[in-house]
Amino acid sequence: MTVAALSAAEAPLQASPRAVSRRRAVRRFKLSLLAPLIALFAFVLMPVLLLQLYFSVHQWTVYLGSWWDADYIGLDLFKEVLTDPRFGWAVLRSLAFATGSTVGCFVFGFLLAYLMHKPFRGQAIYYIIFILPMLTVPVVVAYTAEMMLYQSGPLNDVITRLSGIEFKPSWLSDPHLALMTVSLLEIWNWTPFSFIIMLAGLTAIPKEPIEAAEILGASKWRIFWEVQVPLLRPVILLALVLRFLEAMAEFPKTWSLFQGGPGSATETLPVYIFMTTWQYFEISKGAAMSYIVMLLMIVIVLFAIRLLRREKRSLDKMYEQTDSPKVEA
Amino acid sequence: MTKFNISRRTFVEGGLGLTVANFLPGTMPLASAATMEESTIAAAKSAGPAAVNGMIWSPYLVPMQPVIAEFSKQTNITIGAVQDISIFDAPQRAMAEALSRSPQFDFIHIDSNMIPSLVSAGYLEPLDEYMKKANFKIDAVGDYGTFMTYGGQTYGVPTDGNVHIQYVRKDIIEDPDNKKRFADKFGKELKFPQTWEEEQTIQEFFMDPSKDLYGSANLRNRANGPTWWYMIYYSAGGFPFDDDMKPTLNTPAGQYAVDIYLKDKKYNHPEAANWGTPQQIPRIAQGHVVSTQYWDGTAKLNENPAKSKTTGKWLYGLVPGSDFSGKRMHRSISSPLAAILINKYSPRKAQAAYLALWLGSGKNSIPIVTDPVNTFNDAWAKEHMTSDAVKNAYSPAGVKAIEANFQVVAPPIYLTGYLEFQDALGKNLSEAFVGQLPAKDVLKKTEDEWTAIIRRIGQSKLKKDLVSYKALMPKRLKPA
Repeated sequence: MTVAALSAAEAPLQASPRAVSRRRAVRRFKLSLLAPLIALFAFVLMPVLLLQLYFSVHQWTVYLGSWWDADYIGLDLFKEVLTDPRFGWAVLRSLAFATGSTVGCFVFGFLLAYLMHKPFRGQAIYYIIFILPMLTVPVVVAYTAEMMLYQSGPLNDVITRLSGIEFKPSWLSDPHLALMTVSLLEIWNWTPFSFIIMLAGLTAIPKEPIEAAEILGASKWRIFWEVQVPLLRPVILLALVLRFLEAMAEFPKTWSLFQGGPGSATETLPVYIFMTTWQYFEISKGAAMSYIVMLLMIVIVLFAIRLLRREKRSLDKMYEQTDSPKVEA
Repeated sequence: MTKFNISRRTFVEGGLGLTVANFLPGTMPLASAATMEESTIAAAKSAGPAAVNGMIWSPYLVPMQPVIAEFSKQTNITIGAVQDISIFDAPQRAMAEALSRSPQFDFIHIDSNMIPSLVSAGYLEPLDEYMKKANFKIDAVGDYGTFMTYGGQTYGVPTDGNVHIQYVRKDIIEDPDNKKRFADKFGKELKFPQTWEEEQTIQEFFMDPSKDLYGSANLRNRANGPTWWYMIYYSAGGFPFDDDMKPTLNTPAGQYAVDIYLKDKKYNHPEAANWGTPQQIPRIAQGHVVSTQYWDGTAKLNENPAKSKTTGKWLYGLVPGSDFSGKRMHRSISSPLAAILINKYSPRKAQAAYLALWLGSGKNSIPIVTDPVNTFNDAWAKEHMTSDAVKNAYSPAGVKAIEANFQVVAPPIYLTGYLEFQDALGKNLSEAFVGQLPAKDVLKKTEDEWTAIIRRIGQSKLKKDLVSYKALMPKRLKPA
């Protein structure tokens, strides 16, 4: 290729001064929108993270001196946390709790959303009733549940009367049931969250694919399973991920009801971190734990983002395929 | 600054004159009759007016308010902002305040077992100087006043005795039919239990779950369980550390205490593993329990016919003892012992200290410990034991039981790091109670965890603390 030919090829790529100025203005505008977030990160979050990092590599015994005099110990605390069986159990309990409650919230939330997504008379009243649990303070949920869930309390009593079989589980004192009790409360408390997201998703599904399927004679089940669910996949994923992350951090109900007991049946990650930091005042170990948990959460979030992107791409592709016959037509 | 020119001669003459005047008829009362309360007011006035901020749980504060109002009227020292925090959550908050060296609270109302930890974190103001200026003395029953001391200094003023006393259903153990049945089965007389074993025999014999009557209402949850365990352990002659701060839990006395502690599962309500005071106190007052050790304030509740179905149906007395050590020994416990502590970083610490002293005088605290509705503050001062108002509130037998138990009252762990030691023991006892941990492993595991705590806090530091802890332990085997 000659120099002249190269210049001619480059010529159209050269942006005009006006376009450059416009691009700069757009960049400035974007920056001005992001500036508060960047400032928040730099001046609020960053110092906290750095301080946490400092604590996690220094052994600060609160009774023996000030934090700035603490001894540097490198990664010893991380090793200690990672080899602490109590921490391992706490991780497992949190994962079990978060998985169980997330699935529960999603199933009930989706079911309610499916029943509610087509307009009907009195829909608003049902909507308000369904979101009420989410507006209840978790500590209140815990204390109310405590009164309901005694072995001889109203819940067991009602089930016994209705079923005619003596139903007497110790929801609050049996170590095999305790974590499940909190999971059920979490499901009751946060099903509305999944309900709202799924309702928004269902309402936003374009009508055309469903109508087309109906015309083609597809059953309701096939429409649901082969049309609606695939279109909802990114929303489902979002609802699951957000709920899972929230559930991993659940503390108020678990603490109000059990404080880690009976035995250590409800010693989840937030409970164990709280105890380590504010019951044992092992601030340094608590910081190391928090970092490890943060890394775990980052991995989960990154994985979720990857899945969401993949879902979005496949949806975009599907819409392109749906749109293309129209173009041809 | 004003300067007074006083010669040595004038000073000596004046001093002599005052000394002589002190003995003149009619002047003696003026020179020496200031009561503790009057001296406290005088000292508080000299500190100047202020509005003091505090952290205190409202059930404790409400009955104090009329007493505080009187103090405010006389001194212009008032209560400013108050943070209403449960006494169970207060330790964490107080430690956070200590670590940040915050002057936010002038006083905190908290479990006195936190004194070593808070002093070690540099948060507490010693009160000895204020007490001296106000001519104030903690006039507690037995050696209970020492519970406010650490390292030879006083750091708190009690507002709530919170000693454990023994509760036994009078209508059950004095019933002639029951007496006969019991004697027929065991070949011995049915009477107020003197040992843990005797108590458990009575609990087992009379419990009847079909009538919702359980033998015991002792707490076995993770947070409170150790309080009961210490009573058994101390009464068996155990003490948790040797002089070198090595844990000494895993001993025959320790295992004896674990066995008695776990045996309670047979007599207690099936949900006891996670039950605390909100569940067990109503059951005591409603008559669903045969016998138990509980905080003394529950006697006040039992004897209030507006709140209890068992008024007049209880016998109160000394908690059971043990012959395990070869000598019969009784040990009661006080935990959490609610006390007012003063923040060293407070700009109004003098005013807050005098307010605490005012609330802690025997006379002033009578209305506080006898409040029929907010029953959290329990009797503790010598003056309470002879007061008619206190006897009316707790019943004369209740007051007698309180006085007896105070003479053999012990603290739980009184060391820096109290909450850590407490939780490690509480967790392991709770795991054993619900079957997650074999009974034989409880003490070994707790010792291992305690050793790690000792290593972190520092053996030499804790060895110094141990002197204060041991000073709090009762000296007599049983009340005089």
